[in-house]
Amino acid sequence: MKYSTNKKALDPIVDAKKIQELKLCAVHHRKKLLELGKDLSIRLHYGAATSSVEILTTLYKVWMTYDSEEPQWNDRDRFVLSKGHAAPSLYITLSSCGFFPDSEFKNFRRLHSMLQGHPDRKKTPGVDCSTGSLGQGFPVAAGMALGGKADNASYKVYVLMSDGECNEGSIWEAALISANYKLDNFIVLLDWNKKSSYGEMKGRNDVVPLDKKWEAFGWNVIMCDGHDFISLTQALENAENAKDQPSILLCNTVKGKGIPYVEDNRTPSNFMLSDKQYTEAMAYLETLEVEICL
Amino acid sequence: MKLEAEDITTAYGEALVEVGKFYPNIIVLNSDIADSCKTEAFLRAFPERSFDLGVAEQSLPTIAAGLSLVGKIPFYNSFAVFAVSRGVDMIRQSIAYNDANVKIVGHGAGQSMGYTGPSHHTLEDISILRAIPNITILSPCDAVETTQMVWKMAETEGPMYLRLARAAVPNFHKENYKFEIGRTELLKDGTDITIFVTGDMVVLAMEVHDIFASQGIICKIVNVPTIKPINVEEIIKHGQGTLGALTIEDHNILGGLGSTIAEIYAEFLQKPVKRLGIPDIFTESDDAVVLRSEYGLNVDLAIKLAREIL
Repeated sequence: MKYSTNKKALDPIVDAKKIQELKLCAVHHRKKLLELGKDLSIRLHYGAATSSVEILTTLYKVWMTYDSEEPQWNDRDRFVLSKGHAAPSLYITLSSCGFFPDSEFKNFRRLHSMLQGHPDRKKTPGVDCSTGSLGQGFPVAAGMALGGKADNASYKVYVLMSDGECNEGSIWEAALISANYKLDNFIVLLDWNKKSSYGEMKGRNDVVPLDKKWEAFGWNVIMCDGHDFISLTQALENAENAKDQPSILLCNTVKGKGIPYVEDNRTPSNFMLSDKQYTEAMAYLETLEVEICL
Repeated sequence: MKLEAEDITTAYGEALVEVGKFYPNIIVLNSDIADSCKTEAFLRAFPERSFDLGVAEQSLPTIAAGLSLVGKIPFYNSFAVFAVSRGVDMIRQSIAYNDANVKIVGHGAGQSMGYTGPSHHTLEDISILRAIPNITILSPCDAVETTQMVWKMAETEGPMYLRLARAAVPNFHKENYKFEIGRTELLKDGTDITIFVTGDMVVLAMEVHDIFASQGIICKIVNVPTIKPINVEEIIKHGQGTLGALTIEDHNILGGLGSTIAEIYAEFLQKPVKRLGIPDIFTESDDAVVLRSEYGLNVDLAIKLAREIL
C-alpha cells in the first residue's frame, strides 16, 4: 500500500474521526505488545516500547510517505529506530501498515525469523537500517540525510531516539555534523521518557537541559507531548518548515505508558509480565478502548 | 634493475579522482586530514561530493553507512588507527551488520607513520577486521596495485577496508596488471620455502629472495593483496612443493596475515610456519625504516626465521 500525505498538523475538529482512530490504534498496539510477551513467554522492554507508541503511530499512519508493497521504493521517507530495543513496537507498526503479515510474530526473536531481537534491515521489510548499538542509528540517519541533500532528493529522514542515548558521545558528534551541513531534511523525534534501562536518569546519567543543549548545537528544537497526536503533528509541521537546520522534537513521554505497573515504576526495564500483570494491563487498555469509542 | 619508487597514498588520491569521474555516486568523507590522505584532488574535482566531518572519527563509519544506504559509495579517510579502532563498534554494527557498501581507507598503516609514535601506529587493524563478517580486507604492495584496488572497490558491492602504508615503494607491477579481489599473486616461483607477504613489505620479501638466491636457495614469493576473504585453495597450492612458509607483514603477529596463513597450514598442509611481524608490543617513535629494523622487520631476522625451516 502506497501511503503519502500532505504533512499538515491534525486539526482537533476537522480531524476528530482520524484522531479517534489513531487513539484506538495506539490501544491496539499496546494490547499486541502485551499479547506478544505473554504468548511467547518472553521478556520485553515494555517501558521503552510503550513510550514510543504514539510517535511511531503518528509517523506511519499520519506523516511519512512509503509503499509497504515496495519497501525499497526510492522516493520513500526513511526511518531509523535508533533506540533499537523498541523493535517490538516498530514491528507492530510495520505489520499494521502492511509490510508483513501478523503471523510473523509467532516466530518473533527465533531462529530464521524475519523479526530479530533488534531491527535488521536485511531481514525485515520496511526496516531501513539495522540498529541495536545505542547512539548509532542517529548518525547513520544523518548520513542518509546528507546523501539525500546531495541528491536534492524529495524524501526526508526521520529518527526515533531515546533520551538515554544522549549519553553516547556519538550522538553529539553527529549533532554537530548535521547542523554544519544544514540538514533540514533530517527530523529527529526524541522519546523523552526520563528513564534509561537502570531507572531514573535524574541525578545519575542526566542529560537535561536537552532543549538548551540541542539549540546550542544548532538545531531547531520543538517541545511536544509525545502521547498526543495533535501536538506531535504540530511539532512535525514546524520541523518540516525549518530551513537550513535539522530539527529535533523533544517528545515528552511516560515510560510504560498504558501499562500501569510499568508507568508506576514497579518493574525493571526489561521483564516478563506475570499473569496478574497481564490481566490487569489488558483490563486497563480495554477500559481505555471503551472510553475512546464513547 | 632498480625500480623507481612511487608513493602509495598519492596513487590512491589520483585513482580516486579517476574512479570518481566514472562513478558519480562516489562520496569522499574526510576527517580534517584531507591533505595527509591526498584526497584534496578529489575535493577540487568534486567539491559537492566531498564532506569533511572534522575531527570526528567515530562518525566516519556511521555517516558513511547512512550514505551507502541511500545509494552512495562512500570512501572514508583517516589514519588507519583511527579509521578502524576508533569506531570499531560502528564498523561492526553500522557497516558490517548492515552490509553497507562503505569503503574504509586507513592511511599510514603499520609503523609507516614512524615519528608520530605508537598512538598513530596501526598494528591491530587486520586482526580486528578479520573477526567481523562481511568485510573485505585489501592491502596493496605498490602504487599500481593501489590504483587497481580503488577501481575494484568502486565496482564491487560490500564493505571493504583498504590498508595503505605511507610509503614510496618500487612498482612491482606494470600498468597492465589486473588486480582481482580474493586472488593471490605469485611474484617469484621457488622450491624451498614459500614467503607470503602483504603491503609494502614485499620490498623486504624480494630482498630476502635475492639473498637466498645467491646462496642457491629458491624462495617462492606470494603477494597476498586480499587478506580477507583469503583464497584458501591458492594458499594451499603455493604451500605445496616447499618445506614451509615464512610470513611477512607490518602488523602485530597476532591475528594478521601470519595467523591467517598459519591457520591454513595447520589445517591443510601440516608444515611449519614462521611469522615475521611486530611482536605483541607498543612501538616507539622514529623513522619508519629504523622502527621496522628495530622490531624485526629486517632481512637478518627474516633469513634467520626462514633458516629454521630450511
